[in-house]
Amino acid sequence: MALLEEPIKEVKVLNNFIGGEWVQSQGEIKDVVNPATCQTIAKVPISTKDEVDAAVNAAQEAFPDWRATTPVARARCLFRLKELLEEHFEEVSRIQTQEHGKTIDESRGETRRGIENVEVACGIPTLMQGPFSEDIASGIDEYLIRQPLGVFGIIGPFNFPFMIPLWSAPYAVATGNCVIIKPSSEVPNSQTRLAELADEAGFPPGVWNVVHGGRTVVDRILDHPDIAGVTFVGSSPTARDVIYPRCGATGKRVIAQGGAKNFMVIMPDCNVAATIPALMTSFFGNTGQRCLSGANLVIVGEDNSFYNNFVDAVCDAASRITIGYGLDESVQMGPVRDEQKKKRIISYIESGIQQGAKLRLDGRKNMRIRGNYPDTCFLGPTIFEEVVPDMRIGSEEIFGPVMSVMRAKTLDEAIVMCNSNPFGNGNAIFTSNGKNAREFQYRVLSGNVGINIGIVAPMAFFPFSGMKDSFYGILHTQGQEAVRFFTESKVVIQRWL
Amino acid sequence: MTLQTASEVISFAKKLEEDCAKFYENLAQRYTNDREALLSFANENRRNIVLIERAYYGVITDAIEGCFSFQINANKYMFETKLAENASYNAALNKAVEMEEKIIKFYSDAAEQSKSLMADIPRTFAMIAKKRNIRSSKLKSLQRL
Repeated sequence: MALLEEPIKEVKVLNNFIGGEWVQSQGEIKDVVNPATCQTIAKVPISTKDEVDAAVNAAQEAFPDWRATTPVARARCLFRLKELLEEHFEEVSRIQTQEHGKTIDESRGETRRGIENVEVACGIPTLMQGPFSEDIASGIDEYLIRQPLGVFGIIGPFNFPFMIPLWSAPYAVATGNCVIIKPSSEVPNSQTRLAELADEAGFPPGVWNVVHGGRTVVDRILDHPDIAGVTFVGSSPTARDVIYPRCGATGKRVIAQGGAKNFMVIMPDCNVAATIPALMTSFFGNTGQRCLSGANLVIVGEDNSFYNNFVDAVCDAASRITIGYGLDESVQMGPVRDEQKKKRIISYIESGIQQGAKLRLDGRKNMRIRGNYPDTCFLGPTIFEEVVPDMRIGSEEIFGPVMSVMRAKTLDEAIVMCNSNPFGNGNAIFTSNGKNAREFQYRVLSGNVGINIGIVAPMAFFPFSGMKDSFYGILHTQGQEAVRFFTESKVVIQRWL
Repeated sequence: MTLQTASEVISFAKKLEEDCAKFYENLAQRYTNDREALLSFANENRRNIVLIERAYYGVITDAIEGCFSFQINANKYMFETKLAENASYNAALNKAVEMEEKIIKFYSDAAEQSKSLMADIPRTFAMIAKKRNIRSSKLKSLQRL
């Protein structure tokens, strides 16, 4: 199968987008490497504190006029952005594959989910409306208005370079705020292209800004007194120990989405034929690099025959996954984002072996890479059996294509296993029994719950939820909750005398 | 060649439609009696490409099993579009019917296998298979006794 054409053809130094201008950074420059080919595809600046300040100034300057722009007019900018994203759908999808490594189906899925957030935010004239109560007392009315707060920082992760900033940005600007997006420096091209399209869509200068970089940029966003709030998606330690407390210290609103260790609970009454592909997507889709990936597969019951047949089927399917460069349409799993991440995953595989888990499928060896690519960032699917929750591979977030198979005698025991883990992001049950499904949904401590769904990704009009160590904050990204996050509720009680 | 990902299957469907459209355009040039009908088939093929793309791009999501839905043996559905220089009109139509049957089978199998994807994709495949059944009857009716 021939490769789809790469959209990034020459290595360019990326610029920041500040106040409607593409501005060269004074910071040091770092290579952006395609993990499949190991070729440099761009150079990204590690911007300075002053450059963040310049973006904040531009955003602050733009804010009064943008806030005063009618919600309908703001929505029209979003409608134009949506049209441009549809027009460039394939290009932005391929950029994601080129810079991140995911398969083209996965990138297109990411693009679609990003666009869906723009679509939902297009409804801002009604989404922003507040309630009105006539005659709360004689001749007195009470109503609520939602007002924007100013400038927001959006800090994106490496695993969804296009979509995740769109969980926040469309709602922030639709409600009349201005944004500063800091993409992951590992995958900065998607947000650069998105900013170009936002500019073309007609957002006024300073409303939509992008500052590339690393820790310095994050620190300045967190500490800047004129930034009203921050949304962040990344690891739990960073969410818990850095983002959340520092936003609190400077009085910022915060949505800090962290990591996960998701349990996929298999009941013996599940539809096995439909469950296996769902598990392949869950555990090995996006090469396991997502906070909704399956991590622990818990098989319920004492029926050894069911257990053996099921695990055999899972191992067989996983061993046949085609690995390679995601721009080859036949590829089902791309590389890990970079070599460091691969080493980290391998260290988990080694710890699993040391702690006594049974290595059933070894991704270090099971690598049938399609095409002539260096194996630097590739890693095959790995499956362990006889994992118990206190092993590192059973409790910690690996963020790679590793499945830990566990057993539970009863559904009750499986739910206890799920709930004993510190994370609570996206657990799922596979069953054809409604009572089991309801019991699981009712009791499991997880922000997103799947019933016969392996990746519990909420649509744009639902909040992207999360519990325990997977989420720090109150309101969530996406939909109505995002609208509330990006606005202040002002209650007016009026009486005309 | 086994097609496993949604992207591969969509590309393959588009190729079948385009090859088939070219075949009908060629027929329309050679056998002018039914030119309009044959060209309408080619036009419909190109509309099918738009329908397929719209269904796929409209609902593709990384959360559903896009990379793991299919086991389609592409060789089963491939067809030869070259006609002998001296082929009669009936022979050409027979070839068209054979080709349509293979394409109907492809769409039916793809619809069945894509049930776990968002509903638009299997529905589009099934709808095109249904339209092609009607076309197949039309082709048979064009044959001269």
